[in-house]
Amino acid sequence: MKKFLKLFLKILGKVLLIGLIGFVATFTLYITNGENKLIYYVIRPFLNKHYDSQVRDRKI
Amino acid sequence: MKLLDKMIAPLDKALERFDPVKQSEKGTGGLRDRYYDKTGVAKWREWRGVKDTMYDYCAWLNNILSMGQMVASAPLPILKGFWEYRWMGSYLGTFMFIDRLFEGYRGPELRTAHMNMHAIVQSLTKKIAFGLKNDARLGGGPDTDKIIPYDETISPLYLKGFKGLYPFPMQTLPEFIICDIDQHIEPYYIDVAESYGLAADVCSRCAAETGVAIDDAFLKVGKIMLSTNMPCNASESTSMIQRRRFGVPDFAVTLAMQHNNPEALPYSRATLEAAIAFVEEHYGVKYDWDEFFKYAKLMNEQNTIELEKWDYFKTPYSALCGIAETLYRLYEWQSVNGQEPHFNKNDRKVLKIMRESYEKKHEPFGGKTRHRAFLWGPSAVYYCDFPTWVQNCWGINIVLNMDSTMGYNMINTEDPDKAMDDLTKFTEKATMRHHAVGGWENYNAVWEWAKNFNCDMVLMNDNIACNGTLGYHALMEEQARDLGFHFIFIEHDLQDSRTISRQDMRNCVNKYMSVVLNETPLDPTLVEFDDSDAY
Repeated sequence: MKKFLKLFLKILGKVLLIGLIGFVATFTLYITNGENKLIYYVIRPFLNKHYDSQVRDRKI
Repeated sequence: MKLLDKMIAPLDKALERFDPVKQSEKGTGGLRDRYYDKTGVAKWREWRGVKDTMYDYCAWLNNILSMGQMVASAPLPILKGFWEYRWMGSYLGTFMFIDRLFEGYRGPELRTAHMNMHAIVQSLTKKIAFGLKNDARLGGGPDTDKIIPYDETISPLYLKGFKGLYPFPMQTLPEFIICDIDQHIEPYYIDVAESYGLAADVCSRCAAETGVAIDDAFLKVGKIMLSTNMPCNASESTSMIQRRRFGVPDFAVTLAMQHNNPEALPYSRATLEAAIAFVEEHYGVKYDWDEFFKYAKLMNEQNTIELEKWDYFKTPYSALCGIAETLYRLYEWQSVNGQEPHFNKNDRKVLKIMRESYEKKHEPFGGKTRHRAFLWGPSAVYYCDFPTWVQNCWGINIVLNMDSTMGYNMINTEDPDKAMDDLTKFTEKATMRHHAVGGWENYNAVWEWAKNFNCDMVLMNDNIACNGTLGYHALMEEQARDLGFHFIFIEHDLQDSRTISRQDMRNCVNKYMSVVLNETPLDPTLVEFDDSDAY
């Protein structure tokens, strides 16, 4: 029983630690508006460059 | 819960100085302070107090999860879609779009807003994944030939009588929804259309659709196309160009324009019946009324809940208001139309919050509303976050938008003959036919709507390229004066924000509020700002 409790607490501790790290990481990304800055300044300009270089099959 | 509130109260107090709503109350800042100039990119997310910020954070995570599910459900088609279609890149602006929409929202109104928005995100992500997975241009999928492509302005409920087939609104992904999220995407397609000789003074919505067709940017799905005569002559023209591009058998679902006259009903009904026969012929599937009744029941429930919501809208204590109400109802009616049961579930939850808020006499936006307005506004109000801005800046609460007034009659779910009549009436009352082009009565009804919802103000969007509405301008001004409503015409060029910028639209309200009503803004940082490079 003691062994089981020890294992349980160990797993619980790890889950809580992972949860805490996950929360800190995602909340930092959220509050700093990180993903939108990345999208606006990096990803979209890269994609737009690609779209502008596309040869489209244009016709009426 | 009260204990938790007590526990976080000291923290809330300490961090209150970061809350832009509190800053504007104290004159130390405002909602616009946290943005970089022009881009609309926020330096940091809005601090709304501990509880509401955590709620907003969880809603953000939830939306990320839905997008992750979308990618996981079809990773290769999604990647190919991003590479193939310019409009797919614009969907990356969704998080910024949601942030903008719910600025200044707190408490129950924030909760209902996020619940509604998440329902839309869930639905759209599934639709994108399904569409790309079966796009013949990207290799096709198991359901490519089971899809019924239709013009998005036709309500799709009647197509649910085809078991095993999937109605798909062709213009929604590349044109309609995305223009709300990114104001810079449709001008590209408009330019494509104009470079082929299309006149520059037609409705920009139709021009954009034409550009998508010419640029070969529609998905390739299904065996036929159900086009329509809605909403106007420019729309008929774009339907013809799209028809050539799709290159599949086409049936034009031309319901009566002047549909308020009961004599038009047999004609519209015959058109719908012919459309059903056309699908039966090309897909070899018999129409199944029992299958249709299943979805008609869901639509009836959506409308029943909507009518109860209207009772709360009439009071100052509605926890659902502004853009959270208008955009949701537009999407739920026009795109979902009884097809997705999770919207019914969401409606029930939102209604519960509305009932509780009404019991508690909760006034949204800290009770700072000065005017209640009925809005007559299309796409342009979404990409400029108009209902949110007008509340935060001038205290004008958008109680109801024209999109919320579409078909709300109940549909018989037992007798096919009676159901067909109900369905026809319902289908006639869809986007645009029920609004700008279905007869003068629809326009003139704004006064009744405004009066019934206890509004003192009517805000009317004036699409400068809409031939149908241009003639009404002076008449509406005159009627507003006679009836004693505050009335503002907001000029816009629908999906082309280059002609009339977002700030130009906001200035229409700024001028009226400051010059005519002599009022001061609730948040001075919102009166004039440059967001021309924002999505």
